[in-house]
Order: sequence, then C-alpha cells, then structure tokens
Amino acid sequence: MSEVVFGSKLMQLLIAMILVSTFMILGSTRLYSCVRAFGIQSFLLACVAGIVAYSTGKNDIYIVALLTLILKAAVIPYIFLYIIREIKVTREIELYVNISPSLIIGGVLVVISYYLIRSISIISELSSLALSASMSLVSIGLFIMISRKKALMQMLGILIMENGLFLGAISLTYGMPLLVELGIFFDVLIGVLIMGILIFRINKTFESIDTDMLKTLIG
Amino acid sequence: MIEYLLLAPILTGILCLLTRSRKQVEAISLTGSVVTLILGVSLVIDVYQNGIIMSWTNTLFADAFSAFIVLIVSIVGFVASIYSVGYMGHEFKHGILDLRKLKIYYVLFHMFMFTMLLVGVTNNLGLWIAIEMTTLVSALLMILYSRKSSVEAAWKYMIICTVGITFALFGTILTYYGAVKILGESGDALNWTSLIAVADQFDPTIMKLAFIFILIGYGTKAGLAPMHTWLPDAHSEAPTPVSALLSGVLLNCAMYGIIRFYTIASKSTGTEFTSNLLIIFGLLSLGIAVPFIILQEDYKRMLAYSSVEHMGIIAIGIGFGGTFGVFGALLHMFNHAMTKSLMFFGSGNVLLKHGTKEINKVSGVVKSMPVTGAMLLIGGLAITGSPPFSIFISEFTILSAGFLQGHIIASVLFLLFIIMIFAGFFYNLSKMTFGTPKPGIIPGEVSKMTLGAMAILVVFVFVLGIYMPPVFYEMIMKVVAVVK
Repeated sequence: MSEVVFGSKLMQLLIAMILVSTFMILGSTRLYSCVRAFGIQSFLLACVAGIVAYSTGKNDIYIVALLTLILKAAVIPYIFLYIIREIKVTREIELYVNISPSLIIGGVLVVISYYLIRSISIISELSSLALSASMSLVSIGLFIMISRKKALMQMLGILIMENGLFLGAISLTYGMPLLVELGIFFDVLIGVLIMGILIFRINKTFESIDTDMLKTLIG
Repeated sequence: MIEYLLLAPILTGILCLLTRSRKQVEAISLTGSVVTLILGVSLVIDVYQNGIIMSWTNTLFADAFSAFIVLIVSIVGFVASIYSVGYMGHEFKHGILDLRKLKIYYVLFHMFMFTMLLVGVTNNLGLWIAIEMTTLVSALLMILYSRKSSVEAAWKYMIICTVGITFALFGTILTYYGAVKILGESGDALNWTSLIAVADQFDPTIMKLAFIFILIGYGTKAGLAPMHTWLPDAHSEAPTPVSALLSGVLLNCAMYGIIRFYTIASKSTGTEFTSNLLIIFGLLSLGIAVPFIILQEDYKRMLAYSSVEHMGIIAIGIGFGGTFGVFGALLHMFNHAMTKSLMFFGSGNVLLKHGTKEINKVSGVVKSMPVTGAMLLIGGLAITGSPPFSIFISEFTILSAGFLQGHIIASVLFLLFIIMIFAGFFYNLSKMTFGTPKPGIIPGEVSKMTLGAMAILVVFVFVLGIYMPPVFYEMIMKVVAVVK
C-alpha cells in the first residue's frame, strides 16, 4: 500500500519540493524569506498528508492535513511575523557558518540521511524516499539551530525538525493515532507561543535576541 | 478516579487565578494540594488492592508503576506547596514579587503538577505529549523572576529539552511502526497494555533503533550525561520550590518514560542491549557529576549536579537488572525525590537569609539557623549515601545487584564515583553549615512553614533508612513485577 502512495510521481515531486524549501531556508540571510520558506514547506507537507488521506480514504488524516495547513502554514508563520514586527529585530540573520558552506553542509546531510535510511533493510524501498527526506529535515533543522545566531532561527530550526518527523510518521505509518497527533499539534502550538514569550523576555532583558549573549551560566 | 486526580490541580489552578489577596491564593493552593494528595494516595491504594485501573476508553490507566509515580508526584507536590507559602510569601513581603506574579506562580505550580500526574497515568506512547507539556509549563515558571540568568536558563532549557524530546518522538514513531505491523492500525496500537502483550514479536532492529532515540530523548529530560547541560542552569535559576519539583519529581517522570520503553524494548531485543546502554549512560552521568560537585562554587548548582548523579544511579540500577537492581532503582527514585527536595528547601532558606548562591559567602548556618542547618546536615548525609538514611539502603541494594549480576567493573566504578562525590559534596556543605556566621547575618529562621515542609521530608528520609514498612515493600515489589 505504502509503495503505491509514495511511489507516485506526484508524491516524489512534493517530497523533492519539501527538500528544496529547506534549502531555501538554509540559503537565505533574511528572516522574512526564511519564515516564508517555512510556510511553503508546511503547505507542501499538508499536501502530502492530503494525498495520503485521499489514497487511503482515512478521515483522520484529512483532519491532520487540515490542521497542518492551518497551524503550520498560517498561524505559526504569522506568529513569527508578529514577533519580528513587535521587537523590531534587524531583518538580517547573523550566521556562525556562512551561506555557501551552509548549503554544502546541507547537501552532505541529505546524502548521509539517504544512505543511513537505505541501510535499514526492513524499511520498504519507496517509503524510504520519504523517510530519508524526513531524516534530512531533522538534521538540517538541527544544523540551522546551531549555525544561526538569532533566537528566532533556533525556534525555526525546531519547527523544521518537527516537520521532518511529521513526514517520517506519515510515510512510515500514515501518521500516529489521531489523539496523539492532536496532542502533538497542541504541544507545538503552545511551544511556539511560549518560545515567543521567551524571545520577548530575552529581547527585554538583553536588548537583543542574539544567543551570543546567553553565555553566563557555565560550569 | 483518575479523572478526578487530574482535575484537582487544574481546578486549583483556575481558582488561584480568581483570588484577590495573598492569603486567599495560599489557602486555595494548600487546599488544592491536600486534595490532590488525598486523591493520589487513594488511587495508589485502589491500584494496590485491585490492580490495573482503566478509564476514559482506555486513554488513561494506572498500574502499579503509574501509581508509584503518582505517589511521588503528589507527596513532593504537597510538601512543595507548603514550602511555597513560606518561601514565596517571604519574597512577596520583601517586594521581589507582586500579587500578580504570585498568582501566576501558583497557577503555573498546579498546572505543572497536572502535567506530571498526566505523565504517570497516560496509557499511551503519547506520554511524549505530557512530557513536552511539563517542559513548557516549567519554562514559564523559570522566567518568573526577570533576571538575566533566569531568562538564559529558561531559553536553554526550552531549546535543549525540546530538541531532545523531538528525538524521543522519533523513537515513539518507530515503536508505533513496529507495533502497527503486529497490532494493525488502531488507536490501541500505542497503548502500554496492548504493547506489552505482544512486545516479544516486535522486530529487534526497529526496537533497538527506537530505544536509542528514546534513551537520548527522554535521557535529555532526565538529565543523563552528556545531555544534562541544561539541568544545572534550570534547577539553580528556578524558584526554590520549583527546583525541588524539577529535581525530585520531573526527572523521575522522564525516567519513568525510559523505564517503560526499556520494558517493551527488552522483550524483543533481549535485556543485554538495553541494560548495557543504561549502565553506560548511568556511569557517564556519575562520572561527569564528580568534578562539577567537587569544584562547584554555587550550592544550588551543586545540588543540581547531584541530581545528575542520582539519575545516573537509577539508570544503573535498572541496567543491572534482576529483582535487586530494579527494586533498588525504584526505591532510589522515591528516596532521591524526598531527600533532594529536602536539600533544595534547606538551600532555599539559606538563599533567603544570605541572598547569595555562592558557597564561599555562606558559613555557620547551623548557628544562625539551627533547625534549617540541622536538617541540611541530615539531608546532606542522606544524599551522599551515608547510613542510616534511606538513600544508603537503595544505593546498597543497587550495588549488591551489580556484584550479583556480575557487572564487576561497573560496580567498582559506581562505588568509586560515589565515594568521591561524598567527599566533595560534604566538604562544600560543611563549609556552609559550620564555622561562624558571616557578619551582618541576623540569627533566626526565615519562616515556620518552610521548616514544617522540611520536617515532613526528614521523617521520610529517616524512617525509610531504618525501617521498611511491609506495605511499601509490597508496593514496590508489584512495580518490579511490571518493570521486569
């Protein structure tokens, strides 16, 4: 069954586009374009969930797809834009690792994920394509968190990782049971709100949201 | 039954929001935590007599292990709410907190209790959701004071734990993948009760991978080294009653997640793989705690590193396995919760009195605050594992399990690290407690409420060291049967 869904040309295209959107985040120095790329990525993810729902005929997955669309492609990017506007943060993101090495590292991470997933023999050939994309998203999300200075980008990194896991779950098992899936959405939303509060607090106490400042507690 | 237990802290939180004065909010908080304690204990008795309880179409459940966690959460929560009245009241009187913040504190306190109780009674791998919720609520508690250091600690806590927990989610997805192959796609395929029954048929490769992700994920939350980096910051920057909850209870909740998965994974991968991983991470935590405790300059951070140590001990106990090992580890969960809360409460009183967290700027606590000082010394002796206190019993049980199961090298290392930590910890503690008080410190206790809370814990620490009530023994043996 999963072969049929994830083998389709449309699905492969979507998964490839999700990877491209991740590289858009990796290759951009402006906060706005990063948030926009994240919105696109979440929209594509909702499409993937929608197609899986259509081809399996499961109503649960429709709900999940709809929630992804509303929460991750609209509400969360809006929260980001709100924060950017309110704290008047400089629009450039400062980097520890420059754009071109970042892109190369991103590419390497994708290749590694691909080979890692291929080496697990029990996972079927075709859902392994989606799964290696999912692993790539997780590792690139992690890389974004450690290579960008702004606290906002760390928040974005976590969300990219979460998107990666969502893709993984949907390609392995058509998502988790609805109750668990709803709980995860709830946690992600509350998590984003609380991280937003923390960013406001960081901005107020440090007058900047560069995580460079957060280096006093050691040992 | 379970619903009422979960409802109690939520209602208390909402009521706290509606209050108009310090007296009201404290009264409601205390009443709420007494109710939670009573419901928690009656749940424990119910499970003890009748076995597994299910509720809400199997979404919530309580077996012996859940009941054990509920017991720890509700006891420490109850004591912490008594302590809060004294501690936060003192801060309120001195104008560090205003009424709005005090109310926010109590609301979040009870929400935090709710999320931790939820961890215990979720019949589901969706345990993940509850554990992530504990992070969210406690991060808010940490930024109650707008100090630079607390904001930094809260951000690190939030980021590191969320990433950690994301790995745990991946482990959960993998487990579900393994389960779906056997149980079919249904909501039930994530329930402990259905998973345990078929756990031996799971694919070992998948389960190995899942267990590694779970151990790293929940291990981050449980403060196992080398993922412990957020812990000293968070535990030392949070308001003291919350530090006690974080160290005493929250770490145990994360450990609970690991142990549940350990039970499931071991059935398909065999215990050798899972046990060895636990022993390695446990020893690493013990080893890393040694230098940081010996060279520590901040007493709350010292206590936080001691929590890393004790989580390591629990992991090792489970890893050694056998009835002795598991029994010791579970007993240690309980004992550590009581003793570490006692220590944090004591250090909180010292902090209120001296206004500094530096070990070198505090001395003569026994003279300036005799009761706090005496209880700190008892707690200090207990936490480092000296007889005749409770932690000695559990550490000794774990150690004997290690030799019994033939983990000679691990057991010797374990003993060595514990001795070094004993020396370092006690050296630092004696600098604080003995000697003459620093000039400008007016003798006298900070508040009677805080002493009452500590006294309750001292009873646990002392009694369980010399006498094991048969009921308690049987209760833990029932949990051992669930875990093994």
